[in-house]
Amino acid sequence: MHVSAPPIAREQTGRTVWTTLSAGQMSSRAAYLASFILGLVVWQVVAGLLPQVVFASPIRVAEKLYAGVLNGEIPTAFLHSLQQFALGFAISLMIALPLGLLLGRSRIAYAMFNPVLNALLAVPSVAFIPFIMIWFGLFFEARVALVVVMSVLDMTVIIMSGARNIDPAAVIVAKSFQITGLRRIFSVFVPASLPFLFTALRIGVVRSVNAMITAELFFAAVNLGKIMQTASSRFDAATMLAIVFLVSLFGLLMQELVKLAEARLIPWSVRH
Amino acid sequence: MRGRTSLALAIAGFGLILIAWEIAGRVLGDMLLSPPSTVLPLLISILAQGRAIRELVDSMSQMLVGFALACVIGMPLGTIMGRVRVVDALIHPWVSMLVVTSIAALVPIVILLLGTGLAMRVAIVFLGSVGYVLLTAYHGARGIDAKLVDAARSFSVAGVALYSKVLLPALYPYLVAGARLGLIHAIRAMIVAEMFVITGYGGLIFQTGLDLSVGPLLAYLLLLMIFSTTATSILQRIGNATAPWYEAWQRPGE
Repeated sequence: MHVSAPPIAREQTGRTVWTTLSAGQMSSRAAYLASFILGLVVWQVVAGLLPQVVFASPIRVAEKLYAGVLNGEIPTAFLHSLQQFALGFAISLMIALPLGLLLGRSRIAYAMFNPVLNALLAVPSVAFIPFIMIWFGLFFEARVALVVVMSVLDMTVIIMSGARNIDPAAVIVAKSFQITGLRRIFSVFVPASLPFLFTALRIGVVRSVNAMITAELFFAAVNLGKIMQTASSRFDAATMLAIVFLVSLFGLLMQELVKLAEARLIPWSVRH
Repeated sequence: MRGRTSLALAIAGFGLILIAWEIAGRVLGDMLLSPPSTVLPLLISILAQGRAIRELVDSMSQMLVGFALACVIGMPLGTIMGRVRVVDALIHPWVSMLVVTSIAALVPIVILLLGTGLAMRVAIVFLGSVGYVLLTAYHGARGIDAKLVDAARSFSVAGVALYSKVLLPALYPYLVAGARLGLIHAIRAMIVAEMFVITGYGGLIFQTGLDLSVGPLLAYLLLLMIFSTTATSILQRIGNATAPWYEAWQRPGE
């Protein structure tokens, strides 16, 4: 018996096929690849429409990147840039972790300083650059200071929210086992706020990578900033794009690494 | 904690910071850190002169152009990405990349493309804020309760009506939250762009720093802080006033 499906049912099937196709069969890796290729094609087409001195095609960017990596210029600069990133990020974490825990666990401290923190967060951190110049000069110390300034507040706020959200039951249990002082901090507060700590690390790491390159552009131009500045004076858009692409990729990579560490270390808290 | 107590504590917090700043300022001297007793009168005289306010208003109205552009493009695109998987898969990686990209590093590239004028600043503000507006709308659109959509479908609401009657009201809090987040980043991007080419309010800050005058520099930073907090809280108020169902929600994105 031939009964053609009613139009609505057919449409439904069509939709299901379409969604399974896009969600299920097209695995996320293939989707990434498709997105990457499509993006490069769009980039190539756009670059073809613009003069070479103002914008470069992905092929030319790749050439510059390859040449720069091969002659060692880019890796050397990158390694030097990483120093201020690593040191600044470490200092930020050392400030943000205790400060965030304190503000999150003490109601009085929270009520007193949360508004101050919000007011400080409202100021774009780059606006502190002239101030950093006056205090720390134009070189390594200033770059580290900018990394700290650009990441410490964001991280503090997130760790603070984490500490505020600790399950009261955990605190009470710890209390009834007479766990106090430093032991309470390290065996209750820190583990309980780990998910937020990882969020803070993720945001902080990206902000620090941004600060790393921002510092080299605004203070004395060195390392990657120097390469960009030289390229800019030569109207060499390809090299500039190559550096920005590289730094963004590095930021993404660091972010993914933190996510991976989170999934490995605290698998119970990872939400998708 | 009661409202009045927490207000009193907040005032005490600000007071404590001011006292610490005053002591630090007196110890370090005007070359390194001017105390508030010097900065506040300076702020008042700067306000009275009017130049800083004019620069700030100019900068921020230019910023609004880029920010508006980011909303007009980011909100619908984010919504579509949240509803249509293929679009999401194709665009999402590039948006993630844009969000982690340093705005300061984009400035020299955009200068090559668009020069150092208004177009460059608008573009930088757009690039600096669109990702946040878009992603917040995206998360909102993905999180919309499927029951809402099913109920609407069973009343044969579809197409444009589905968007305007069901999805938009459900999305609204996310759009407001995204706009607030985007505005903060738009202001950041504007200051970065202006400091880079030394113009407008950002240029004023940079120039003051180069002159090593710490007092006025702190006054300009305070003014910027006041402006930025006011602007974001106004946006929040508008959100609350235009959508009564908004407050019932947990504020998303926080």
